[in-house]
Amino acid sequence: MFWNRPLALFLLAFVAILAWWQSRPSDQVLHRTQFLMGTIVEVKAFASSSAGLDAAMDAAFAEMARLDQLLSRYQRGSDVERINNAEASIDVAPETEAVLRLGLDVSKKSQGAFDLSLGRLKKLWGFDQEHPHVPSSEAVHEALKGIGPEALDLVGSQLRKRHPDLSVDFGGIAKGYIVDQAIDVLKRHGVESASVNAGGDMYLLGYHQDRPWRIGIQHPRHPNQALDILTVHDRAVVTSGDYEQFFVEDGTRYHHLLDPQTGYPAGSSQSVTVVADSVALADALATALFVLGPDKGRGMLASYPDAVALWVDAAGQLLASEGFNAYRLDP
Amino acid sequence: MTSSATNPLDPGQVRRQTYLALFTALAITVHTLEVLLPSPVPWFRLGLANVLTVVILFLYDSRAAWSLTLMRIGLGALLLGRLFSPGFWLSLAGGILATLLMCLARRHCGPLFSPVGISVIGATGHAVGQFLVAWAIVIQHEAIWKIFPIFLFTSVAAGLLTGWMAAVLLNYLMAHPVFSSKTNG
Amino acid sequence: MKPPWKFLTLADQLLIACLALLGVLGLAWSLSAPRGQRVMVSVSDRLVYLGSLDKEDMVELSGPVGKTVLTVDHQGARITAAPCPLKVCMTMGPAVQQGDILACVPNRVLVEIEGGASQPADYDLLSH
Repeated sequence: MFWNRPLALFLLAFVAILAWWQSRPSDQVLHRTQFLMGTIVEVKAFASSSAGLDAAMDAAFAEMARLDQLLSRYQRGSDVERINNAEASIDVAPETEAVLRLGLDVSKKSQGAFDLSLGRLKKLWGFDQEHPHVPSSEAVHEALKGIGPEALDLVGSQLRKRHPDLSVDFGGIAKGYIVDQAIDVLKRHGVESASVNAGGDMYLLGYHQDRPWRIGIQHPRHPNQALDILTVHDRAVVTSGDYEQFFVEDGTRYHHLLDPQTGYPAGSSQSVTVVADSVALADALATALFVLGPDKGRGMLASYPDAVALWVDAAGQLLASEGFNAYRLDP
Repeated sequence: MTSSATNPLDPGQVRRQTYLALFTALAITVHTLEVLLPSPVPWFRLGLANVLTVVILFLYDSRAAWSLTLMRIGLGALLLGRLFSPGFWLSLAGGILATLLMCLARRHCGPLFSPVGISVIGATGHAVGQFLVAWAIVIQHEAIWKIFPIFLFTSVAAGLLTGWMAAVLLNYLMAHPVFSSKTNG
Repeated sequence: MKPPWKFLTLADQLLIACLALLGVLGLAWSLSAPRGQRVMVSVSDRLVYLGSLDKEDMVELSGPVGKTVLTVDHQGARITAAPCPLKVCMTMGPAVQQGDILACVPNRVLVEIEGGASQPADYDLLSH
């Protein structure tokens, strides 16, 4: 069949042209999602040329996976597991040290509203497990023993536990820290504008093309509605809300943001959004300010001059800290 | 083995098996070549192996068609390294439903359908079989039926073309003494 | 050589006519859906992306087999790169109507176009 060969050649050429056409860098935005740290991590990066952007993404995701190994409670051999198994003192990795240092600072300044040593309490409630349930008050009482801002002592890379049973949990801070490190990796690869979003913990690097990033804030009671829209660049935005993880038992709704004072879900806010310089700080502050509520929270925020917050209080009222309006799209 | 002179097997049976093996080898070759050839629409295959299935169904019987199809899919998948991949299951389901419908039509409607009609029935069965498996196992989303009409059109068109080829081939083969003596086995 | 139509029996012609009619009806049904609003992507049954059909975007989705790239532009949503051998999904697009789907079967990627009066999202990301 003489006609077969030209036809095959023509098809080959056609496929080659098609492949070339589709592999051209048609856009200078790259968007990648992956399941990491128990949530969906979404990275979006803009660049004037797509060269190197792919490598930057790969490196950022690799760094996040590495840190997740180190800081997750669920990874075997993680620093968290090592700390929890330690009797008294233990030498930790520099990354863990950084998380601990920041966490202990927020813990002290919030008078324990943010607490790194809630491992046992969180396990008791089991919000990240299949069937969370309300624990007995004795068990809650037991799990609160020895916790607090003074429960852990960090000297250099040496962490000392005041109580051998103490169990740490980086739930309200590690994700933020990991996002910060991913942003650092992107910066080192020369990326100038990008967003890294780990299930709502996000950092906005540079501009979204020609304008600052626009960040919607989830309405705590209407899932499909945005409460407000912020315009930010080179800032972290984190929201903590009672709608994220909860269960209902005997008609009462129990959410995952526990008050270290009582051992039960904190009741003074529906959600808190924090804008700060780093995601780790914003993450820890959002948890602390949620527990404290707007009244006490405003006082605590004074020790972090670059951070601002917006509360939806228990009654659904919107309350902003000083300076928050500067980030609003329509102040 | 004993020589054919003292073979207790019926020579017709031996001949049938020889031709079946030949057709199977041809079907696998055609199928593999077709998969390897570049195509502007990667999922679209004319289904040239179907020509051989239709021919063998008309020359022999359902059993021959079944063994040809199953051997072709199994060995073809082995050759291409696709055994037990999702594509393999789709292909198997398509092949089974196509063969089933063609055999039923051939047995119960006999001379009503020409090789072209049988081939179109097979092509339709192939498309439906693939979609059923994709729907039930792989995607589990009823929206995949939205793209079914397009698949049906291309399948019927491919069925017409391969059916015509089968009809032409059958015309030549039937005229040959090997097959003309014995049509339906 | 006899031309193709000479082989056709009456039953053949009826069968082909019926199938063609079925195809046309199905096609009419599938083309009658209104234009969708949102692009929803799940990988291994987990929702990984939600975007507007009116906003240009390019998303890389990692699945069990590798990287599938979804592009949303003025034509609609389509898969522009797939790790699978057959690349069926790349020829399925663009998807623009409500209920349209693109599926990359080996990589467990499912792209759905949803309709409904959803927000024309005037933000880039949602903090939640």
